[in-house]
Amino acid sequence: VTHQVRRGGRKVDLTSKEYALLEYMMAHPGRVLSRTMIMEHVWDESFEGLTNIVDVYVRHLREKIDLPHPLKLIRTVRGAGYCLSENAAEIE
Amino acid sequence: MNSRSLVVRLMAWHALWLAAAFALAGGVIYFGLRHYIEASLAEAQIKRADRIALLVTPAQLALPGRLAETIANDFAPEASERFVRISRPDGTVVYRSGRPGDGSFDPAEISAPPRQPGVRIETLHDGTRMTIVARSVGTGNPAGCLVETGESLMPALKELDWLLASLSLGFVVVSGVAVAGAHRLIRRALRPVHEITARAETITSHNLSERLPETHSGMEFEHLSQALNRMITRLEESFQLNRRFLADASHELRTPLTVLRSELESIAQAKNHDADLRAAVGGLVDEVGRITRIVENLFALSRLEAGLAQVKHTRLDLASLAVATAEQMCLLAEDKNIGIKTVAPTPVFVEGDPARLKQVIVNLLDNAIKYTPKGGSLTLSVTAAADRALCEVADTGYGIPAEAIPFIFERFYRVDEARSREIDGAGLGLAIVKSICAAHGGVVEVKSVVGQGSRFIVALPLAAPEERNPSGAI
Repeated sequence: VTHQVRRGGRKVDLTSKEYALLEYMMAHPGRVLSRTMIMEHVWDESFEGLTNIVDVYVRHLREKIDLPHPLKLIRTVRGAGYCLSENAAEIE
Repeated sequence: MNSRSLVVRLMAWHALWLAAAFALAGGVIYFGLRHYIEASLAEAQIKRADRIALLVTPAQLALPGRLAETIANDFAPEASERFVRISRPDGTVVYRSGRPGDGSFDPAEISAPPRQPGVRIETLHDGTRMTIVARSVGTGNPAGCLVETGESLMPALKELDWLLASLSLGFVVVSGVAVAGAHRLIRRALRPVHEITARAETITSHNLSERLPETHSGMEFEHLSQALNRMITRLEESFQLNRRFLADASHELRTPLTVLRSELESIAQAKNHDADLRAAVGGLVDEVGRITRIVENLFALSRLEAGLAQVKHTRLDLASLAVATAEQMCLLAEDKNIGIKTVAPTPVFVEGDPARLKQVIVNLLDNAIKYTPKGGSLTLSVTAAADRALCEVADTGYGIPAEAIPFIFERFYRVDEARSREIDGAGLGLAIVKSICAAHGGVVEVKSVVGQGSRFIVALPLAAPEERNPSGAI
């Protein structure tokens, strides 16, 4: 099962987990989401403790939606987590 | 059989005393009888010699032929296998009986007449033993003549040897029966000890609710098993107390940790704070998250171990659960360039809690990925063997040293501190795996070769066949 999203008219195919991750981040724009919070919303309780899985998925999501684009939407907040935001200054 | 065991020692003691008593009784019977036979033979010879002595008169001595004839007529020593000899005080033989009819001894071999009357036993060169008595003829004329009579002891000794053989045979038979009987009896008496030992060996911290059999055969063993059972009860109570404490403590920690984390998160996201401060607080959020995970794991573990956790029992296909979990985790493996090969050809149904069984697979796969160097490979397989479902996670990782294997399922145990510090985790994953397996009536085993990899094998009871619902449900 694949999910399709659009960014600037360009179609991007996402896996269900990538889609769930993007959906969760878009629901909280501008807010720093810790790995644990992402974990709890996107994965079930069995994955508790595997926060590195978040990093791996975020990286894949970035490759798909940010890599071909000059404006990077997904930001890493050092020591805190990730944030989806259009405005870089808003975060850092 | 152990030569120091109680059975062997008791039997050796038993056999030793039996042999000693038998040997003593046998010896008394044999030697007493022998003495009696020798004495009564000598008595009979004395009587005979005294009667012959009455015949020895000066007139008879003057005519040795007459004397021989008289003795032959009255006593017939040859026919009755006896020895008779009459000699003068100077040692010259007046009369000597001939060879006995059965040839049992040669009269010529008997030593020269003694100087004094008396009783003696002579051994001839062929080993024949003879009782010989010498009596003096009397105080009258011809004073000093000796009459000797003798008889072979051999027939009597033969009877005694027969008696000895019978006694020995009897000894062997009786002691054999007695030892065998004692062995049976002792083993039967000690059976409760073996039962108690066997059961005690199977009791570990995971089945402390079991008790030893309380036999009613003997007071001592009954008391022993009761005392041991009371000890197990006390152990169970203290283990239970320990687990309950852990469950309570971790439960109490959860709420303040949640508050702490949400407070810290709001500081990290507040825009009016300095960026450095927010980054630092962000680091704290992650640390609090790590503590929370440890506490959550401890809470889950202690509830499982205390038997407080409700384990749902639904019928599920372990194979498809494993495949789905591996798919969710494959990115994690790909990140380290590790391939996951999934072998689950047929559905394998078990009764269990899907979330917890998934946790088992997640923990095992996570460990395998963590402890396998880049470029390695993992194999996850689910198969049914006999009455068990086997879920196996094999890796080509660092492996586990043999001396560490007995401890890896213990809480907070780390094989390699240095390596583990680089790897996130508290050392609770395998303890949780083991507890979940135990809660499902299963076991987890590990086989590992350092430098080649490890194999974790989870064995769970297969679900009973259910024709109505062949597709199963997860």
